[in-house]
Amino acid sequence: MRVLSKLMLAAAMLAGTVAGANAQDKTPVKLGAIEILTGPNSRYGIAIQRGFDLALADINKAGGVLGGRPLALAYEDSAGAKEQALNAARKLIGRDRVPLILGPTLSNEMFAAGPVANERKVPIVGTSTTANGITAIGPYVFRTAMPEADVIPVTLKTAQSKFGIKRVAVMYGNDDAFTKSAYDVMKATLEKLGIQVLTTETFGSKDTDFSAQLTKIKGLNPDAIVLSALVEAASGIALQARQLGIDPKVFIIGGNGLNSPKLGEIAGASADGTIVGSPWFIGKKDPANQAFVTAFREKYGDSPDQFAAQAYDTLFIVAKAIDAAGAPDSEKIKDALIKVKHTGVMGPFSFSESRDPADTSGVVVLTMKGGKFQLLE
Amino acid sequence: MWQTLDDFYWTYQSLIHGIGVNGILALSIYVVLAVGQLSLGQAAFMGVGAYTGALLTVKFGTPFAVSMAAAAAVPALIALVVGGPTLRLTGVYLAIATIGLGEITRIVFLNWDYAGGALGLSGIPEKGGVLAIYGTLAVVLIALILVARSRIGRAMEAMREDEAAAGVMGVNLPRYRMTALVVSSGLAGIAGCLSAHVSSFIGPNEYGFETAVTILSYALLGGIGSPVAPVLGAAILTLLPEVLRPLADFRLMVNGLIIVVAVLFMPRGILPWRIARTG
Repeated sequence: MRVLSKLMLAAAMLAGTVAGANAQDKTPVKLGAIEILTGPNSRYGIAIQRGFDLALADINKAGGVLGGRPLALAYEDSAGAKEQALNAARKLIGRDRVPLILGPTLSNEMFAAGPVANERKVPIVGTSTTANGITAIGPYVFRTAMPEADVIPVTLKTAQSKFGIKRVAVMYGNDDAFTKSAYDVMKATLEKLGIQVLTTETFGSKDTDFSAQLTKIKGLNPDAIVLSALVEAASGIALQARQLGIDPKVFIIGGNGLNSPKLGEIAGASADGTIVGSPWFIGKKDPANQAFVTAFREKYGDSPDQFAAQAYDTLFIVAKAIDAAGAPDSEKIKDALIKVKHTGVMGPFSFSESRDPADTSGVVVLTMKGGKFQLLE
Repeated sequence: MWQTLDDFYWTYQSLIHGIGVNGILALSIYVVLAVGQLSLGQAAFMGVGAYTGALLTVKFGTPFAVSMAAAAAVPALIALVVGGPTLRLTGVYLAIATIGLGEITRIVFLNWDYAGGALGLSGIPEKGGVLAIYGTLAVVLIALILVARSRIGRAMEAMREDEAAAGVMGVNLPRYRMTALVVSSGLAGIAGCLSAHVSSFIGPNEYGFETAVTILSYALLGGIGSPVAPVLGAAILTLLPEVLRPLADFRLMVNGLIIVVAVLFMPRGILPWRIARTG
């Protein structure tokens, strides 16, 4: 009973503190960020948080926004759950009164939180939400993440022109919105490029045994395996494909889920030859990217991934929009965002009419060699 | 003042909805547990209700009342069909059979392209809301309290304590079990439909095994002595993650700790008391 009464007290205290106090000069401009900071998918959210924090330090060192006001971020954890992302969005808008929200991490969460932000006319900017239909939620929903629909065609076209693939087997995780939506793009692109699909096999995102599907694929003798999976499943597939004796020349063409250093760490040499498209690559030679990678390694003792890079750029884009808007006002920021032009670690960036990234020139095709991704030459 | 209240309500709207919906789900598991059965199919029935209601509203534009009625009827009908063979099982065997049912439902939704497949169903119009949710919860709660106070309630309790003895005393066991399963499925379906119409998006993975266990835990934490207990359990378990938000990284740990402590020290639930009898 004591626990209960304490909870009641905590609830009452929470209810009592309704945030007020509008910002004056030199007071920080506080933005909200909803990311997965706990639970099994937290590595995505934490990478994004690190990207934001690094950008935040850079921006504030350079004088902040709106002529000297520091930028601040209020993080809310969604734990990867749709309801919690929704609650977090409502809290940030209703209580913290943030003029803009960054995140959430997953497309599923955006489908829940996006409509709420849109209803209250607060811009919400996804940095890692790549599924179809995200920005169709409404005019206040933006994303800086390159949608699968832009990246996958580049990957497949490159594979066709470089390796002359003609017949492929397709595998995808059919119980996950992210991998299913990437598969839809793959299917359409393969059809357009005139590549023959020998078979389409499915699996569950938590499966660990893929031998049935791979044995069938081995018998069909394809030129390549087109794969839409999260990195854990993808590593398992790469390992088992080689164990079953599928020729190492039959390489894997992956969706965005495979674009993670984890693939090489888990699958090792079995993943060699895998090619993926990526909006960003750690080894890009331009000075902005080199500086970002060095600073990230210095601060966190770990290499950044694409999620950190996208987050890093996004905060600069948002800061530019706030400066252009002249006030931390949702409506003005929304109008300014669509006009922002920024050249960051991912290359040139601007929003299209539909609030997606307009420029796909930053997309690079990577290939795995010795457990590490490098640019496909 | 009014503005503040309005903002407060808006901020916590999803949470307020969640407490109500989970309360109805807790009552749905209570009905099964009250006759001494253990079902882990509540999440599946909730999913069937959510999809039935949402599909009707989105694809056919039916009025909310019709969607609600169908969302209660379809899971109840499924329960009636699968109840025949599965209710011969008791205890863990029934639990395992209902887990199977849940998996089948999930896989059907995953592969059913008309209902969005793995991408789920988005753009469900907002209907019902707080009034419909808490109205339903109140009606169901009062009805179940009345049942618990009646002759039927006594028979249910007798079944829970000792099924053989209850049977010998003339309680029609199969009929009670079947009624309990059908009623609980209908309730879960209604809860699913209500939540689908306030969250604008549903996906097949929301109604899996984890949800089934969460629903069961409402009744475990609250207790099943009276219908009020599981509703309280649901309210606490729904509020906890949000109340603990300031703890940041330790949130899930503390959340789990509180539940473990509660179950250890209050094994019969937070509200173990029984409803006074009449008749």
